[in-house]
Amino acid sequence: MSDGLVIDQLKKNQILDLLKEGKRVDGRQFDEPRKLTIDIGVIPKAEGSARARLGDTEVVAGVKVQPERPFPDTGDKGMLICTAEILPIAHPSAETGPPQPPVVELARVTDRGIRESGMLDMKQLVLEKDKSVIGVFCDNAVTDHDGNLFDACSYASTAAINACKIPKYEMQDDAPVKIEGEFTEPPITTLPVSVTMAKIGDFIVVDPTIEEWGIMDARITITTNSDGNVVALQKGGSDGFTQEELIKCSEMSIKVGSKIREIIKQSK
Amino acid sequence: MSKERKRHVIPGEVITSGPYRAEQNTIQVGDNIVSTIVGLSDVHDGSVRVIPLTGGYVPKDDDLVIGKIVSHSSLSWTADINSCYVGMLPASDVFGRDYSSSSDDMNSKLTKGDLIAARIVNADMTRDPLITISGRELGKIDSGELVKISPNKVPRLIGKRGSMIQLIESSTNSQVTIGQNGLLVVSSEDPNGLLKAIQAIELIEEQAHVANLTDQVNEMLESKSE
Amino acid sequence: MGGRDTDIVLLDENGIRCDGRKVNETRKVTIKAGVLKNANGSAYIEFGDNKILVGVYGPRDVHPKHMSDTDTGILRCRYHMAPFSVGERKNPAPSRREVEISKVIKEALEPAVMLKEFPRTAVDVFMEVLQADGGTRCAALTGASVALADAGIPMRDLVAGCAAGKAADAVILDVNNEEDQAGQADLPIGYMPNLKKITLLQLDGVLTPEEYKQCIEIGIDGCNQVYEIQKKALQDKFFASGEKQ
Repeated sequence: MSDGLVIDQLKKNQILDLLKEGKRVDGRQFDEPRKLTIDIGVIPKAEGSARARLGDTEVVAGVKVQPERPFPDTGDKGMLICTAEILPIAHPSAETGPPQPPVVELARVTDRGIRESGMLDMKQLVLEKDKSVIGVFCDNAVTDHDGNLFDACSYASTAAINACKIPKYEMQDDAPVKIEGEFTEPPITTLPVSVTMAKIGDFIVVDPTIEEWGIMDARITITTNSDGNVVALQKGGSDGFTQEELIKCSEMSIKVGSKIREIIKQSK
Repeated sequence: MSKERKRHVIPGEVITSGPYRAEQNTIQVGDNIVSTIVGLSDVHDGSVRVIPLTGGYVPKDDDLVIGKIVSHSSLSWTADINSCYVGMLPASDVFGRDYSSSSDDMNSKLTKGDLIAARIVNADMTRDPLITISGRELGKIDSGELVKISPNKVPRLIGKRGSMIQLIESSTNSQVTIGQNGLLVVSSEDPNGLLKAIQAIELIEEQAHVANLTDQVNEMLESKSE
Repeated sequence: MGGRDTDIVLLDENGIRCDGRKVNETRKVTIKAGVLKNANGSAYIEFGDNKILVGVYGPRDVHPKHMSDTDTGILRCRYHMAPFSVGERKNPAPSRREVEISKVIKEALEPAVMLKEFPRTAVDVFMEVLQADGGTRCAALTGASVALADAGIPMRDLVAGCAAGKAADAVILDVNNEEDQAGQADLPIGYMPNLKKITLLQLDGVLTPEEYKQCIEIGIDGCNQVYEIQKKALQDKFFASGEKQ
């Protein structure tokens, strides 16, 4: 999937003309995200799942929980790994094969947003220190691409992990054994929510559509937690932001983020 | 031969059997004429065809299409005609035969992003279809917004004897040039009229299969104050 | 084929299987056509607890160009399982099993699709298994046919998929995951219902010649049942009530 979709100068001028009049192509306000719907439990056999629809962008996140050997230097913590993939059904230019840099970026930003927020208290996901811990894997599959995959994956992941169930395990002869039918609630500490903003000329718009994404000069994704603190940042695109713009962006991400957080909370 | 009722068919379904000619979107299997797509079967004068409800645009000779210039060589322009094949517009169509044009000449007439109203000249699929812009009502389109709909919704957009498209044009003060390939150009002096016209077109695309579509369109055009 | 020892009773004395079905019953199948915005054609299928999303693009340009055929369009298929689709999380990279199934499904669809009208193009079929519960290749094939019809790709017939098999010494229709693990044979079938031809056939397990015949017969019956659901999915999308004729 090429990051810079080829949108011609004509279209860029049209969008800029509208922005100068304070309008966006789809009639939204500059700080207005598209309609978000979240359905949890769409993959009942997984330990957690959610489908997020942000406008016409759709992402399915599935959570698998299984015992793992801990990382050598963190034997007292469980594991949390998030991934993201743009499925070839999502867009005509989506490719199969090893992930291209934009997809790798999407996966890593999604992972950092969830992990760095401390969403799950990893200390509570240990079965036996240094030997066996609980691994939580949240895999995002983009099924329809209409722009802003960063936020769609963030919302799907947060919703799926928030609503997952951790199976109960018992150590028998040094090996973890699952106790069928018994589960615990995940140790949730906060709900991270990302907000992505595109800079087009001197204008900043929240939740760019695929058209706005194609002509933007730069973008920034800001992830905040339930306390309104900033837990992750990613700037992209070939232009830069001024200091003032960055402050404005952080304020928007806290404001918009808290509304999105309510939607995620309601979904459980 | 009696004219049979139009029927909904899917790929593989038998439409009829007997001495009929299998035409568009049908094949002969033994004695049966079978549909190859989702559509409406039409038995008529000893031949059977299926009117498609699906699929992209397949270039046919003499179709009027809207195209968007994407590139050019020294001999021709290439146009996106909303099909899996691109339209080839030979330089000679614009400059006349035996004129060898330079890149500057080419760009002065038509450049990347320009919209054209063209006719399909030769839709032989072993190479990209040839198009022409020399003819009445053909040529470069100077202004307007390009809108894309599914090609099989075009008849619904035009309406009986053009009634649907005339309704939209008159109530929004706009002009719509319709290509058989599902590409349209909408232009208007009034930007609100332009927006409304486009919304009406999108409504038709979404609701083409519904019986009271004309009422819905009327309602939509009348609502929303200026 | 597992043939594993299991506590699950695959077939009880009343002829009822572990999920409550009789030997000649398929699981519940639902299909919705046209579920994705970007794909030219799409379908979502639930076949028992299998959940599969299929998207079709095409006919479209082939890259690299040397892969295209000047005489005909080509069909490309990709069967892929999401990491969260199975019991133990699966690595997202394609496995050899997925590569083989992709090929087998392609060869099940090729007799049906008519691509000679679109030389130098490709039709891409992408099948994503979101949740797996035995018989995914038949379900994926079934969904793929509907997605191809939704995209307007001309076809001689649809292809319906259903597996037959053997468990607890009985010939059964539509093998689920437990039966696949602990049973004695699994025979996936792909079938063109109007042309009456089998285009996908594999076997994992051991069958006597008589059981083989029975499996094919019961499997074709299953495919015919699945075909009715495929028809309904297309009718629901394109021929909805209130339609103008």
